[in-house]
Amino acid sequence: MNVVDLVYGKLVLVTGKGGVGKTTVAAAIAQLAAAQGRKTLLAEFDNQHPSTTAIYGQAPEYEARSVAPDLSISNLDWINALAEWVERVVGIRRIVRMILQNRMVQRFLDATPGSREVVLLSKLVWLCDEYDLVVVDLPASGHAVSVLQIPWMVMRLFATGPIHQRGQEAMALLGDPGTSLVMVSLPEEMVVNETLETWEKLREQAPNLRIPLVVLNQSARPTLDEGEKLLLERLSDAVDAEHPGVDLLRAGRWEAVLEESTAQALERLSAGLDGVRLLEVPRLSREHGPGRLVRQVSAALARSSWADA
Amino acid sequence: MNRAAIPGPPELLTTRSLVVCVGSGGVGKTSVAATMALWAAQQGRRVMVLTIDPARRLGNALGLKKFGNEETRIDLEGLGLDPVEGGELWALMLDTRSAFDNLIRRMAPDKDTAERILANSIYRVMSSTFAGTQEYMAGEMLHDLALSERFDLIVLDTPPVKNALDFLEASSRLTRFFDPGIIKWFLTPYDERKVFGRLVAGTSAVVFRLLGFVFGRDFLEGLSEFLLLFTEMVDGFRERHEEVMGLLSSRESAFVTVCAPSVPSLEVADFFARELRARKLPRGGTVINQVHRCEDVSMEPDTLLADVLSEQVQGLPTGTQVRLMARLGSAHGRLREVVRRERQLIDDLAAKLDAAGGFLVELPRLEGEVHDLQALVALGEHLFEED
Repeated sequence: MNVVDLVYGKLVLVTGKGGVGKTTVAAAIAQLAAAQGRKTLLAEFDNQHPSTTAIYGQAPEYEARSVAPDLSISNLDWINALAEWVERVVGIRRIVRMILQNRMVQRFLDATPGSREVVLLSKLVWLCDEYDLVVVDLPASGHAVSVLQIPWMVMRLFATGPIHQRGQEAMALLGDPGTSLVMVSLPEEMVVNETLETWEKLREQAPNLRIPLVVLNQSARPTLDEGEKLLLERLSDAVDAEHPGVDLLRAGRWEAVLEESTAQALERLSAGLDGVRLLEVPRLSREHGPGRLVRQVSAALARSSWADA
Repeated sequence: MNRAAIPGPPELLTTRSLVVCVGSGGVGKTSVAATMALWAAQQGRRVMVLTIDPARRLGNALGLKKFGNEETRIDLEGLGLDPVEGGELWALMLDTRSAFDNLIRRMAPDKDTAERILANSIYRVMSSTFAGTQEYMAGEMLHDLALSERFDLIVLDTPPVKNALDFLEASSRLTRFFDPGIIKWFLTPYDERKVFGRLVAGTSAVVFRLLGFVFGRDFLEGLSEFLLLFTEMVDGFRERHEEVMGLLSSRESAFVTVCAPSVPSLEVADFFARELRARKLPRGGTVINQVHRCEDVSMEPDTLLADVLSEQVQGLPTGTQVRLMARLGSAHGRLREVVRRERQLIDDLAAKLDAAGGFLVELPRLEGEVHDLQALVALGEHLFEED
């Protein structure tokens, strides 16, 4: 499985610990798909501060909006998703309004656990019929796991009725061969820990969901040889805090640590994740803005796929 | 802006009784919370750090068990530290599901009601999905700890959420669920057994029937049962929630926003600062964690390091020096770029924060990861240094 196979699927879910570059990777995958002529939607999941705003210069709304050929963006907020859900069942706008504008209903649905997740997952089911590919920028891994286990849970808890049916549809979508979850990780010990833990949890709690790819973002492939590392170490020991070369050596150690952490992350991820392909995205400069960064990550993902294939 | 009069971290941690760390995930919030707790304990206070799912190695460093909601005392002397007389550090890791189950068992009027709640479908969805529940239980735990009066200071590490506000929002959302109005509205038709039979008069009844149509009988029946079982416990829950909110907004408390010098994290920090102000919650300040440090250098690497190079390069293969010097030059350029970008972001944030928002402290990114006690002590030195 590589990124090119992903974009010919129907749903790609992207998650990872906060701050790992989830949104950038999700946007990069969506742009690769659009470049292949796939009608693609990049969707955020109930995000009060949509992260894609910085990339496309406009805040995504519930109604998808085109930002490039074959590429639209949207933010799936649950209030709109709920209105759509009720409208699809009831079919009469006036009644939908009557239900949703009822103060009690609003408060009750806002408070009822699981109702957001079920409603939003249903929306994903509908979107997958509309687009060739939907790429979802999911919440951070902890929350993502609870979202993804909801269909299994509601199926067990509600034996019949619309909730059961919606749960069943969502479960079928999550278990579809065209659906993949991509986890984004960083070469940092705690982030790698969380990636491995999330993978374990998902295998238990959402067993039908495929996790074919883990993207190691900001990877720094080792380039310092043993002699260079030794010299760096010796120089660092030889100078004190007042030495004029201290910041130079600090920068050297900073990169040496990144390389070392990358090697460790790759080793731990490939040992811990069974049957998962690891793709690396190198560290890239952010100086030219988020749009440029996404294009570079797209290119890196494609290259990394071909190199491995 | 004059920040001279603003109480810094040392003052907050020696005078307040509750410090709440908020912020997005991945910024070292747990490390900062643990650092503050450790420092206050060393000053002689009895401190509890309440944390939610810390990275395993940090948990190990503090001697925490992975599950079970057990209060664990951390042996400071055994770790080579020398706290002021009376100083204690305790830690507790919240396990949401079992904490919630225990709470139900404790608050239910009888055993049968407790068992029926634990088996109820709505309750099970609620207690096993994190959204809201974790935040709510953190508040519950806080309530118990504060009432016990066994601690001078509680440091609360809130769950890592994408939107920092969720900590406050989610727990009130859960409490709104127990709103007497909603419960009455739902239970009336259930009690009268008219829900799916005859039409009950009034708009509510019509809407209720429509809801049944949209969401299904199973769901509404599960919910009605849940609310019915909960009726007796509702007042207790609401009272506790109000007490927690009272605790959070009292002058004894302080909110500390923890963030990293990245665009998304600083946006969350800015947003949170505004929300705290709007909600009139006591603002302690902002910690910008993991800030890279690197000064400009004016000369070529081999000139700068000339005095030590010739000795240190001995015995290494030819070419090593040339390659490493070139590498140091380019690495320095990249690190400087990172430092410049972060500086710009921090300055932008500082300009937006008002003095009433409290202190603004930067913590350097330490070499090596923060997951042992030594690293926490080192972080503490930066957080509490006088300048």
